[in-house]
Amino acid sequence: MPTNLLTTWVENYTADLYKWALYKVSNRELAMDLVQDTFLSATEKMDSFKGDSSPKTWLFSILNHKIIDHYRKKVRQTVSVEDQSFSSFFEHDGGWQEQRKPNDWHIDEEENLLDDSEFQQVLKKCLDALPEKWSISVKLKYLMEKDSEEICQELGITPSNFWQIVHRAKLQLRDCVEKNWYN
Amino acid sequence: MMTKIMHLLFLSCLRATELIEKQFHFKLTVLERLQLMIHKSMCKACSDYEKQSAVLEHGIQKQLKNQAIQVDVSKLKQDIIRKLKTE
Repeated sequence: MPTNLLTTWVENYTADLYKWALYKVSNRELAMDLVQDTFLSATEKMDSFKGDSSPKTWLFSILNHKIIDHYRKKVRQTVSVEDQSFSSFFEHDGGWQEQRKPNDWHIDEEENLLDDSEFQQVLKKCLDALPEKWSISVKLKYLMEKDSEEICQELGITPSNFWQIVHRAKLQLRDCVEKNWYN
Repeated sequence: MMTKIMHLLFLSCLRATELIEKQFHFKLTVLERLQLMIHKSMCKACSDYEKQSAVLEHGIQKQLKNQAIQVDVSKLKQDIIRKLKTE
């Protein structure tokens, strides 16, 4: 095994791979694990590296596969959103529960609200408070920078499953932001 | 009875908010668009929900962009090299 070559690659590319992984998964520990796994896979697959692409491109493609695998596992765990999980927000007839009904946020300028650091803090707190599988579902579109059809294909879930998970997550997130910001 | 018919024609709030989320990701059918439009014209809460949900989308996007990435990878490098040698 050409350990020296790999050691050089670790020296040269770890920082970039890690930044990318961290951006994609928003979790330090997980990002480190993914980068480590990338190099371990690279060792095993060294024979298949033909030098057609640069080592950096090759390593990034391994890492990207690992990231997709991670999302696939996460999202698969959530594919069944049960009806009763909506019952804390809606009555039997599908109308809003009184205490969960959206209030007017009086949004005049969306930009001002988004630039407000306190609002951003509340949003962050509420995103962090979501179960991980739900917070991932609302971030996926931006993290994967792909359209939702492609995301569903890559993750192997149906579009209706996908928007139902997002729906459930958004209800919770909205409620949390309203209670922490507007009250 | 009246509510049931209304919901059937112009959606319940559960269904309306589901379509609001769907349209951030996928195209609605003509019927869905029409039903949602009429529902929102009659329901302040769902019409507010739509605005707020859009704000949250933009907020999430902004947050992910601004996520400061400061890293010290020297320890990570050492860990990986150690791992590679023991494999």
